[in-house]
Amino acid sequence: METINANKVEVKGLSVRYGKFRALAEINFAVRTNKITAIIGPSGCGKSTLLRSFNRMNDLTANARVTGEILLDGQDINAKGVDIVDVRRRVGMVFQRPNPFPKSIHDNVTYGPRLYGIRNRSDLDEIVEKSLRQAALWDEVKDKLHQSGLSLSGGQQQRLCIARALAVEPEVILMDEPASALDPISTLKIEELMHDIVRDYTIIIVTHNMQQAARVSDFTAMMMIDDQRAGRMIEFNDTNVIFTNPKDKRTEDYVTGRFG
Amino acid sequence: MTIPSVTRFQQMIARNKDAVRGRRRFVNSFMLFLAGLMTLAAVIPLFWIVGYVIYKGGQYINLDFFIHTARPMGMTGGGVLHAIEGTLVITFLAAVFSIPPGVLAAFYAARSPNTPLGIALRFGTDVLSGVPSIVIGLFVYAIMVVPMGHYSGLAGGVAMGILMLPTIIRTTEEMLKLVPHTLREGSLALGAAEWKTSLSVLFPSALNGIITGFLLAIARASGETAPLLFTVLGNERYDIGAIIRNGAVQKQNIFQILGHIVNQPVDSLPLTLWKYAQQPYPERVAQSWAVALVLMIFVLLVNILARLWIETRKRRMQG
Repeated sequence: METINANKVEVKGLSVRYGKFRALAEINFAVRTNKITAIIGPSGCGKSTLLRSFNRMNDLTANARVTGEILLDGQDINAKGVDIVDVRRRVGMVFQRPNPFPKSIHDNVTYGPRLYGIRNRSDLDEIVEKSLRQAALWDEVKDKLHQSGLSLSGGQQQRLCIARALAVEPEVILMDEPASALDPISTLKIEELMHDIVRDYTIIIVTHNMQQAARVSDFTAMMMIDDQRAGRMIEFNDTNVIFTNPKDKRTEDYVTGRFG
Repeated sequence: MTIPSVTRFQQMIARNKDAVRGRRRFVNSFMLFLAGLMTLAAVIPLFWIVGYVIYKGGQYINLDFFIHTARPMGMTGGGVLHAIEGTLVITFLAAVFSIPPGVLAAFYAARSPNTPLGIALRFGTDVLSGVPSIVIGLFVYAIMVVPMGHYSGLAGGVAMGILMLPTIIRTTEEMLKLVPHTLREGSLALGAAEWKTSLSVLFPSALNGIITGFLLAIARASGETAPLLFTVLGNERYDIGAIIRNGAVQKQNIFQILGHIVNQPVDSLPLTLWKYAQQPYPERVAQSWAVALVLMIFVLLVNILARLWIETRKRRMQG
């Protein structure tokens, strides 16, 4: 059982094209269940494109075309007949900038559950408390659940967005530089809560911050663009190995800050 | 011991220092003066108009003016209740006819700007906003007044609605485009459908701007005369109170009464202003100034209420 589920997501020969431009080329790797996998690399190397492939957010880009396979528990999420709504429920996302909806804190968290038909008041209240606790925000907001989500500080807003994502009990959580717009203390809180929730979830995080990748992740994928400007994964390994004993010279240069 | 070295460049600017400084000061104050003068020139007509209308119209304004309909020509007294009611009816109908399709069209345009329909819509709104309002009046005359056989508030509402449509589509579209796309993605990433995202995330975020667009369109339309000339004609005996009383006496149902309200010639403030101002009776001319004042206050009120509403909403949103 353990071995069957060891890989939550498997990526096989994934390429993403925007029109004629190939943004991602031949990505192959596996994301381990209940682990944090970091994706690092210089700007424009396709990290976000890769991340957005996992919940089919690339579908929103008009001329994007995805080839290859992304297997979630062994099933290709791009296969015909797969419900995109189901994919997005199972694969949640937290964005670079906090993006709470212009609604109350309570309604931000219940937005997802309501989409899936949960209407019962006490059920929703229970979900709100559980999700906010998981996102380490409950104690700060429990007395003002009906205030606007926009009234919170940036760090609190981001944790609200995490709670909002957790409320639909996803299996995988995608984080696109979730702390890049936050101060160090808020960043620390986000990293701590990632450690706490990864017991129940599988997390994939894109980050520009090498220390962050080293601190939070179990595995690290290093990406870089090739001479056709297509993003490729040049190395994937235990985070320890990537940061202490990388196989690829470019990875070593990048993680030690020597990259031009 | 070092002598501070002076470069050739420093010598040159030192020589010109006073001349340059004097010239700079002069040009600066002259330009400031010019800008001030032009600002004054721009502001004068504004205050002149407002002040003159208040002065001329204020002399006539009294309570009777708001609660009575017109007296027969040549008689003193009477009011413009018929025009106030007519304006409200036309404006309300115009809002009902233009806001729902305008908003939905704007959602479509913001969502799919490069589809054939989106391009057609953009082209259409551009053309429509350039069509002279009297042409719109003529058009509605041809498609509604002629077939129906009579002028009506309904036709006026349709003409005004067409006039408001491009403003509403454009401002709503612009406001929707201002909503950060991450907000939309946040909703879609939770599995929400497009329409759900539009309705419960995009629309509330853009609502302040959208409402402002409505009110601008309403304020503009309520001051229009040309489209009404061909559609509502004018009716100095239009009295909603009397229609309702009459309907109650004759035991008409609500739809019959509403029909009477919209399906007959009505009057409007700008139309009344235009008609009264060219009549030979001094009383009527004085009344037309008062109508101008009422119209101005009406438009101002719409604007102030809108701002107040938006301010309180903004405060509530930010907790």
